[in-house]
Amino acid sequence: MIEPSLALYGESFDQVETYLEDLLEATGVRYCLLVDRKGFVLSHKEALWAPRPPALDSVATLVASNAAATAALANMLGERTFSEQIHQGEQGAIYVESVADVALLTLIFESSVPLGRVKLHAKKTIAALTVVMQNLKEAPVIKFDADFGSNATALLDDLLG
Amino acid sequence: MSTINFAAREINCKIVYYGPGMSGKTTNLKQVFAKVPSHLRGEMVSLATEDERTLFFDFLPLDLGSVQGFKTRFHLYTVPGQVFYNASRKLILRGVDGIVFVADSAPNRLRANAESMRNLRENLAEHGIDVKEVPMILQINKRDLDGALTTEMIRAVIDPRHELQWHEAVADQGRGVFETLKTVSRLVLERLAKGQ
Repeated sequence: MIEPSLALYGESFDQVETYLEDLLEATGVRYCLLVDRKGFVLSHKEALWAPRPPALDSVATLVASNAAATAALANMLGERTFSEQIHQGEQGAIYVESVADVALLTLIFESSVPLGRVKLHAKKTIAALTVVMQNLKEAPVIKFDADFGSNATALLDDLLG
Repeated sequence: MSTINFAAREINCKIVYYGPGMSGKTTNLKQVFAKVPSHLRGEMVSLATEDERTLFFDFLPLDLGSVQGFKTRFHLYTVPGQVFYNASRKLILRGVDGIVFVADSAPNRLRANAESMRNLRENLAEHGIDVKEVPMILQINKRDLDGALTTEMIRAVIDPRHELQWHEAVADQGRGVFETLKTVSRLVLERLAKGQ
């Protein structure tokens, strides 16, 4: 295993959902995601008024890859990491900041939303999320029953012929 | 290890296509993208140069369906094959659950195949992983080339102990693409079922 899997479920997951919901409300951003370092979405929230989000899988993959490349660049320059990334376009912007070195908080918003407000609230949320991440418990072991193999094989046949 | 999201009841598995430059890694993904029904796959993302050489990676998410109550997904990645993009290759190997090594049958690519496999072993070792710990399939591509290297010769340099399952392929015609993906997916799920 190269990257640890985050066992985000139950109470921890509910806490993360609440923090993201609060952040969405406080900042006025469109989409708010927590992504793991492998590029998988752990949790996401979107504003009620926001249009349909882009493909979140692709967003998460690109965010995590970008963060990995930026971290590698930081190491080459003698820094431990560059913790935050901001990309601003004409219509919108994306803000990404590391959470406890294991996840990435990602906010996507319109350019009319003040960046200062986003950063201020994001940092408060990151402090709260860091506590949640540090207290994650071991993932429960899933016991797949004997049919797992045949079920999976049948699905693979359906998908790939 | 596959990422299991208990809250969303999702299992996510990362499969990486590795191999020398121009061996057909991106072609494999393009074939999968073209042939899998659109409701079972996401968008294909390609970070490529203007001349369509992979710069960072290609990415394609696939939905397998629900296995024992868990929505199971495969995330397919390619690495850039060109030698000088090694930093990118290392990053993409993070979190890998299964590998397809795409070898090139062109007569002048035997050394490139061997060097790419050595590079894979080194990059995995840097992440603290023995190559034997990761489910891996060998795809011997471009079998339609005139003067194609024999499969024995390619296996002799890439997998001399004959430990890997392998498939012949002509990826640009779709031959061997799904067979390879199916085999590596099965190995990844078998490993998951064992709780590894």
